[in-house]
Amino acid sequence: MSAPTSAVQLSCFGGASVAATEPYDVIVVGSGAGGGMSAYHLTRSGLKVLMLEAGRDYDPVAETPMYNTNAEAPLRGVPTPDKPFGFYDATVDGGWEVPNEPYTVAEGSEPFIWWRPRMLGGRTNHWGRISLRFGPLDFKPKSRDGLGHDWPITYDDLAPWYDRTEKLIGVTGAAPPRGLVNTPDSPPGCLMESPPPRAFEIFYARAFEAMGIPVVPMHGAVVTQAMEGRNTCVFATPCGRGCAIGANFQSTTVLIPPALATGNLTIRTNALVYQVDLDRTGKAKGVTFVDRATGAHHSVTAHAVVLAAGSGETARILLNSKSAAFPDGLCNAHGMVGRYLMDSVGVNVTGRFPALEDLPPTNDDGMSVSHTYVPWWGYDRHEALGFPRGYHIEIGGGRQMPSMSVARLLEDDASVGEDLRAALRRRYGSVISFNGRGEMIPNDDCYCELDPQAKDKWGIPVLRFHWRWGEAETRQAAHMVTTFLEVIDRLGGKPVGEVERDGRKAISKGGEMIHEVGTARMGASERDSVVNEYGQAWAVPNLFVTDGAVLVSSPDKNPTLSILALAWRSSDHLANLAKRGEL
Amino acid sequence: MSDQAPKPYQHKIDRRTALIWVGAVGAAAAAGGAGVVVYRQAVAPGPAAAGYGTDPKLNPPVKAPWPRLLSDDELQAAAILADFILPATAIAPAASALGIPDFIDEWVSAPYPDQAADRSVIRDGLKALIPDLVRGDGARRSAALAALPRSPDEATRAFFKRFRALTVGAYYTTEAGFRDIGYIGNEVRTSDPGPSAEVRAVLEQRLKALGL
Repeated sequence: MSAPTSAVQLSCFGGASVAATEPYDVIVVGSGAGGGMSAYHLTRSGLKVLMLEAGRDYDPVAETPMYNTNAEAPLRGVPTPDKPFGFYDATVDGGWEVPNEPYTVAEGSEPFIWWRPRMLGGRTNHWGRISLRFGPLDFKPKSRDGLGHDWPITYDDLAPWYDRTEKLIGVTGAAPPRGLVNTPDSPPGCLMESPPPRAFEIFYARAFEAMGIPVVPMHGAVVTQAMEGRNTCVFATPCGRGCAIGANFQSTTVLIPPALATGNLTIRTNALVYQVDLDRTGKAKGVTFVDRATGAHHSVTAHAVVLAAGSGETARILLNSKSAAFPDGLCNAHGMVGRYLMDSVGVNVTGRFPALEDLPPTNDDGMSVSHTYVPWWGYDRHEALGFPRGYHIEIGGGRQMPSMSVARLLEDDASVGEDLRAALRRRYGSVISFNGRGEMIPNDDCYCELDPQAKDKWGIPVLRFHWRWGEAETRQAAHMVTTFLEVIDRLGGKPVGEVERDGRKAISKGGEMIHEVGTARMGASERDSVVNEYGQAWAVPNLFVTDGAVLVSSPDKNPTLSILALAWRSSDHLANLAKRGEL
Repeated sequence: MSDQAPKPYQHKIDRRTALIWVGAVGAAAAAGGAGVVVYRQAVAPGPAAAGYGTDPKLNPPVKAPWPRLLSDDELQAAAILADFILPATAIAPAASALGIPDFIDEWVSAPYPDQAADRSVIRDGLKALIPDLVRGDGARRSAALAALPRSPDEATRAFFKRFRALTVGAYYTTEAGFRDIGYIGNEVRTSDPGPSAEVRAVLEQRLKALGL
């Protein structure tokens, strides 16, 4: 297997490129979507930035297992507690549990699980790359139907930042404008071509179209056309392993290298920040962290602090930053830090389709991310449907590289020898997986706080989560199941395994979709929010939050693109304040 | 199924790896038994954890580091059974030629919950088959194999089902398995042209039959 010849010089990982002296202009806590974008824009605006990352250094060029087969991995690459998304998943020292860094779930709570890596670039190294803009309705949910809360900004406020973000990171989905409700068409020039639909995508689209439901190109953070400074996709090897050639978006290949190239970025890894430090006037003067490798505690100083540690960890830092002025945690005078925790609703139903059996062999690897998807189609029908918010559908299938689960194709027979080989060849590629991803309305039962007892290895209090899905979500989940079964039936297929129709049982666990957002939300007033529309803390004007914590609602659209766009907009505001000497 | 005695299965691994296993088994035995596995706690994994850890080298991928548990007789039984499930054809190798018995050993020896749950199912099943498959003559071996898929004994059927799933998964995740099942991919392309005209034509026929 030969590597592409035009490998871009991606990084100079392994140490700081300059030795800036304290105080830095800005400390950025976290290196994922929010932290990476903040560092990208602030360094390019001429500010000296110290990035603190809790995990280890990570070099996707050297470390990504491109093209390796499952047979080369221990246990054929299946998920284990050490690597819960499979051996090759680009997650270091993490997953649902991070060694030495526990969290708890309150007694009586529904389950909540929290995915964390400990690596430079955070979850952007392995994420699903689905990059859907929130729509106009998503920013004003309360005005629409009285549920949830309105954002302090409109779609039009964020639209220019979506444009810039899509052009920077590379996103597929270019198509003639459809004008679908609350599913924005990007302006010309923002998106790249999606590869053509694969056989299974052509197949399922017919059923949806027969139901009056549009199927459209997926917006995936994958470079499919020539782009300066980037390699194009090689249409092989899964994005979840990361990408050694930087053809998809991850912070470590797209944001951090250009930030380092400015000479303005210093990166310190293994720096687990647990506290924002204030000066005598109540402004942030820096942060304190524990070095995970040595256990030593350090304080560093800056003119401004950006928290982008991930919604959970950002809330934890604020709650652990206690002082006389903020006895319950920084910016938490109203008890809002940790509140309005949201995730996406997730439901999966898989079907097997005789009509897809024995198709002529073809390369179905595609761009790893789905080529098409189904946006929510029922905006005008919620009253009749009996649930207030919608979902989109992500659909997987095709003749993918076999994994251990290939044996599931033969669960209903006991053949051996040539019969077995023939049955497998016939059924290979005949399975399609339907995955609903739905909006969740924030509720009072979903939040995180500091656990009164539990601490991490270094004695720092950890988060305790509380979770309870609302009826809006469980009814939506039941509708997902009904929809998927109808599609499977129309396509002449049968569901695989037992199908749970009760939405309360079919729904994912809290946190399981890894879209946890909303613990330090933005708002128009300090009375009902932690930060303003620029992620600037009401209580501490030189403290910013640029990760998913600021989200006011959790629309069905996956949050990363919006986190990137918001982080860019907030960082631009921060840079302007700095230029004017107003920090 | 030939009545001739099968050739003894030889590990399909390099000598260095085999020596590491022997060393690891020796060390584990000295520490109180290789079969006892304690998986890491939520906080502070113990030094005795025998998995590949939360930050294994992915490129190139590390080898599974844990000691192997199957006895030679169990390994021989695994080889005979794997080749009953996937014997050689004119164009595809037998399961044993791809080292599937070594994979079964790697799997049942692994210090993770799913694999630990398979351990007794697979090992008990293999042990029970040693008299027929390893010690028996050709006729006895063939009869035992033929009876397995429809055994009246529930535990035996469960063993066969699980062993077969592991064998199939292990076989079809290899390059030879890719060729046999018809997987095409994992190769650099400058564009993705989508399905061929032939695929599209077949698909259209089938959609038409479904009224779509």
